Amino acid sequence: MSSASIVKDRGLRAWWSRSERKVVPYVFISPFYILFIVFSVGPLIYALYLSLHRWPGTGPMRHVGLGNYTYLAGDPVFLKSLWNTVYYAIGAFLFILPLALVLALLINSTLIRIKSLFRIGYFLPILTSTVAATIMFLLIFNNEFGLINQGLASLGIPALKWLDEELVKISVLAIVTWRYTGINVLYFLTGLQSIPPELYEAAQVDGAGTWAQFRYVTIPQLRPIALFVGVVTMIGSFQLFAEPLLLANGGPNDSSLTIANYLYRMGFTNAKLGYGSAIGWVLALIIFGLSFIQLALFGAFRKED
Amino acid sequence: MDSTLTRRAQRTLAYGFLFFILISMATPFVWMISNTFKEQSEIFQRQPTLIPEEPHLRNYVSLFVDFDFHKHFLNSAFIAVVHTFSHLFLASLAGFAFAKYNFPLKNFLFLVLLGSMMVPLYTIFIPLFVLVIRLGLVNSYAGVIIPGVAGAFGIFFMKQSMEAVPGELLDSARIDGASEFRIYWQIALPLVRPALAVLAVLAFMGSWNDFVWPLVVLRSRELQTLPVVMAGMVNLYRMEYGVVMAASLLSTLPILLLFLALQKQFVQGLTVGAVKS
Repeated sequence: MSSASIVKDRGLRAWWSRSERKVVPYVFISPFYILFIVFSVGPLIYALYLSLHRWPGTGPMRHVGLGNYTYLAGDPVFLKSLWNTVYYAIGAFLFILPLALVLALLINSTLIRIKSLFRIGYFLPILTSTVAATIMFLLIFNNEFGLINQGLASLGIPALKWLDEELVKISVLAIVTWRYTGINVLYFLTGLQSIPPELYEAAQVDGAGTWAQFRYVTIPQLRPIALFVGVVTMIGSFQLFAEPLLLANGGPNDSSLTIANYLYRMGFTNAKLGYGSAIGWVLALIIFGLSFIQLALFGAFRKED
Repeated sequence: MDSTLTRRAQRTLAYGFLFFILISMATPFVWMISNTFKEQSEIFQRQPTLIPEEPHLRNYVSLFVDFDFHKHFLNSAFIAVVHTFSHLFLASLAGFAFAKYNFPLKNFLFLVLLGSMMVPLYTIFIPLFVLVIRLGLVNSYAGVIIPGVAGAFGIFFMKQSMEAVPGELLDSARIDGASEFRIYWQIALPLVRPALAVLAVLAFMGSWNDFVWPLVVLRSRELQTLPVVMAGMVNLYRMEYGVVMAASLLSTLPILLLFLALQKQFVQGLTVGAVKS
């Protein structure tokens, strides 16, 4: 080794021992940012670019300006999928959240002693994959031999067509409610258990009854958790995919189709990559917009007082 | 007297409601299990039978013989295990950096990290697929695993527990001449083992149950994971219900067993987002 390279080596070592602690954190966090830029930011921008073009996946792209977006606004199937998705989101709010809150309140109350049986029991459905969960319900909702219709028949009630246009969305919502109620019970329970007991004691001293305590202590104290649960439920409902696909193939007559299902159909089945990307961006804007509204409604942007 | 009576009535009502919901939720599970032992004709008959009239295992045999269930099971297991270990490594390393170092742009970078959780999968779905094709990763496990391996949630989660690691411990290792990576690997990591277990359970379940992304990436059947193959078995016009139910049951079993073994980790992991909000 020449003396010059020894000096250089020493210099490098000295530099490293001086700067290791400054450089190392960037090295440690870099895998995330590299992957995030390559696999999220890049595709996000590329999706915007694609959405301004007509492209079947191979060959040249044709610039169409906002053509895909204006076409979307008048596409009856897209509008149907948008309505269906909104229906699922509203349904999730109306079915899952009140049910989960009531169950959590009951489990948390002094009336109930065997709490963990219910906590754990309600939780189990979230462990299934969306595919396995939907498959289970094929035997529940089948128009001819589903368990519900068999049950109705044994009571002498005529069968209902659970997978036909009128009821299929309710069936999808039932699967979603089944799968997600338990996890929301846990969220609410976490919220309820973090309410300081002194607040209830103080309310009792002030002569508040059970209802007044619920109204003036429990509800306001649950605000942060309610915001979290609301945002998660909304984002989840707007990205429903497997349940309508496997239960009814998005049908009949697109009556259970979600935005995600339609995006998949356009982008992958029909190879309209530009159009599919436009659907994706509309979906993102809806999700961002609704998240923002929820945060604003719950006062998350207000300064703590 | 009167108030104890109403309290008893309230209690009965409360238990009644909780049990009613519990039974409703258990029904699809129980019904699925019962039907895995039935002949197609018995599934189709008007009068439902909870205990199969002539229970048999032919559905399970068919699942392995006709559908290579074991191969797809191993595919799912392989992907889930590789994903889990890579994710734990990357998330704990970055979490350690955010918790235990001060560096320029740290707060900004952390905000970017939190913001990355807002990107909806379906918005980047199509371009991501194009990218994966261009990178030659389509129809490979690498294509399934790499895009989602460094999830922001895991980093956020590990940062929380890394913050509890005492700084003096790290400093004394530095005085002994340990490299920063070694400090992370030999001192910090063993101390956050409980958090790693929670994150492992979440990562494994997420990967095991994942459907949409493996569905588009894995084209050839012999590479496909359980949810993808099971979705392919669902043919609404001609379907072997007993076989499909057996697949659904067996695919859920590993997570169920994992849950029974590590209940606390599951519950903690799935509610952590709510607590931290």
